[in-house]
Amino acid sequence: MNLEADSTPSFLRPLAAISRARRDGKSVKDGRVGFESRPSLRTKLLMAFLIIEVLLVSVGVIGFLSLREADQQTNRVVALQHKIEAYRQVQHDTLRQLHGVSSALAFPNETTLASALRQINQFGYGLDRVSFVEKDELALLNQVREEYARFIAVGSHVIDLIRNGRAAEAKQSELALGPLADKLERLTNQLVNRAEADMIAGIDASRHTYAKSQVLVAAVALASFVLTLVLGHAISRSVIEPVRIIHDGLNRIAAGDFTRRIEVPNRDELGELAAHVNSTCEELQQLYRSLEEASRHKSQFLANMSHELRTPLNAILGFSELLLDGIYGDPPEQMRSPVERIQRNGRHLLGLINDVLDLSKIEAGQLRLSLADYSVEELVSGVYTSVESLAAEKKLGLRVDVPTGLPPARGDERRLAQALFNLVGNAIKFTDAGEIRIEVEAKGDFYKFSVQDTGLGIDEADQTKIFEEFQQVDNSITKTKGGSGLGLAIVKRIVEMHGGRIWIESRLGHGATFSFLVPARLEQQATQT
Amino acid sequence: MSKRVLVVEDQEDNRQILRDLLASVGYEMIEAHDGEEALIAARTQSPDLILMDIQLPILDGYEATRRIKAQSDLRHIPIVVVTSYALSGDEEKARAAGCDAYVAKPYSARKLLETINRYLT
Repeated sequence: MNLEADSTPSFLRPLAAISRARRDGKSVKDGRVGFESRPSLRTKLLMAFLIIEVLLVSVGVIGFLSLREADQQTNRVVALQHKIEAYRQVQHDTLRQLHGVSSALAFPNETTLASALRQINQFGYGLDRVSFVEKDELALLNQVREEYARFIAVGSHVIDLIRNGRAAEAKQSELALGPLADKLERLTNQLVNRAEADMIAGIDASRHTYAKSQVLVAAVALASFVLTLVLGHAISRSVIEPVRIIHDGLNRIAAGDFTRRIEVPNRDELGELAAHVNSTCEELQQLYRSLEEASRHKSQFLANMSHELRTPLNAILGFSELLLDGIYGDPPEQMRSPVERIQRNGRHLLGLINDVLDLSKIEAGQLRLSLADYSVEELVSGVYTSVESLAAEKKLGLRVDVPTGLPPARGDERRLAQALFNLVGNAIKFTDAGEIRIEVEAKGDFYKFSVQDTGLGIDEADQTKIFEEFQQVDNSITKTKGGSGLGLAIVKRIVEMHGGRIWIESRLGHGATFSFLVPARLEQQATQT
Repeated sequence: MSKRVLVVEDQEDNRQILRDLLASVGYEMIEAHDGEEALIAARTQSPDLILMDIQLPILDGYEATRRIKAQSDLRHIPIVVVTSYALSGDEEKARAAGCDAYVAKPYSARKLLETINRYLT
């Protein structure tokens, strides 16, 4: 009575505290307020992409400007070429006019005269084409025009004289044409030279501009590349690093370590996430503690309860045994059987209580293996002795196959014996005819214990269930056999505490073989899972 | 002269069982109901063997065993400890306290007698 009154409130107290903390959710809200003024992850990413876009646009603009400048340079060079062409034309025309006038003098007929006159009149077209003259050339060009005008005037005069048959005068005037032509050539040569120099300078400038823009574009592109890389690295660091830290933290929590907080430098969504994980971890820790406490209460309760149950049971068993032993005088024959029934049922009840106690102790982690050297042969023969009579009662064969001369093993002998005893006890319980075989084999650093029966066998679907607590194969046969359903769970725990494993091979209707493998020499108890 | 067995046991039913059992083989039984009584009886009644339960009021079986074994003039008295249950780990504690043998409840009357006889014959 006392126990119940104590344990119920302390069971519930920690749980209630947690659900209270969860309802008000203060810590979470506080965390969020603190982060609002800092740049969020979204802002960071947006900024990064904006910077990258600006870089892309600037590379484009610089490229476009460079192209335009190159185009302008090309146009200028082309224009200079046209100019040079025009000057050369002027020179060419001058020579032809000079030639025309000379031929007219040499062969003064109407054809040569008309030709010379036509050539003189055509003059000046080429010069007009040079309309884009630069200012410093204007003076020179005007001089050319003047000289031309003079040349044309003299040329026309010579032709007029020839027409009028004044050949001697024409000859005289024609002499003045030569120096004029020379002067014109000199002047135009000057223009051509200047234009050519301009063109070369233009080509040089364009080449220079090209090289300059090449370097500029390459530099800006490289700078953008490096900047983008740095930016990407910074962003990924500020995202991946905290994610890794949070991931590690969650792994620790999953492994049951609630003591360490997750620390990330971020003040963005990831920082918020880490804060959430931390507060969840705290809640989990509280929950875990309260569950541990509840579990401790449970096993304490079970331990107390089973002790309380066992005390009167011991008296029942003790007195009935004394009765059967004839301590109070030989019991009458018809009383013997009922007292034997009392004994049998009492022992069965005790077995059930002990199973519950064992499992609760194992579950609460209170059971420690006591490791010592033992002989496998003795262990098996001890089990054999204690089940011999059970097998004989059911007229079952019981065979033991243990190799002789096995080296001493190390482990918890009593618990391994308990495990083997449980398996053999089950085999006898579920076998109605045939035999039970207990076998031991050395397998490297392990011993394999197996118990084979010729009983019912177990359906494949049920084979994993039977090792769980409170599970029995659900059919009418097992129901009549009784049992707590804890035996195999206890065996499994004992084997696992030794760092071993247990399994079953069976087919329905063809018997079953339970085997477990434990280290031949166990120096340290396996950690419980 | 018949052998004297000091039974330290707080449960009357269990004492009755032992009373009947020991009487049937002609041993004299002295009774103690807790650890303190056991210490006094061990000194004043000079038993030939002590049968010690573990769960006792005032002073538990381990402590009573330890104290008796700490006294040089009482150390020779064999003490058989009755542990409550094999898996509970009581055996190791009992051994550590210095008992000579232990039996686990529920003991069979015959097995208990065998153990007692090992020390008294």
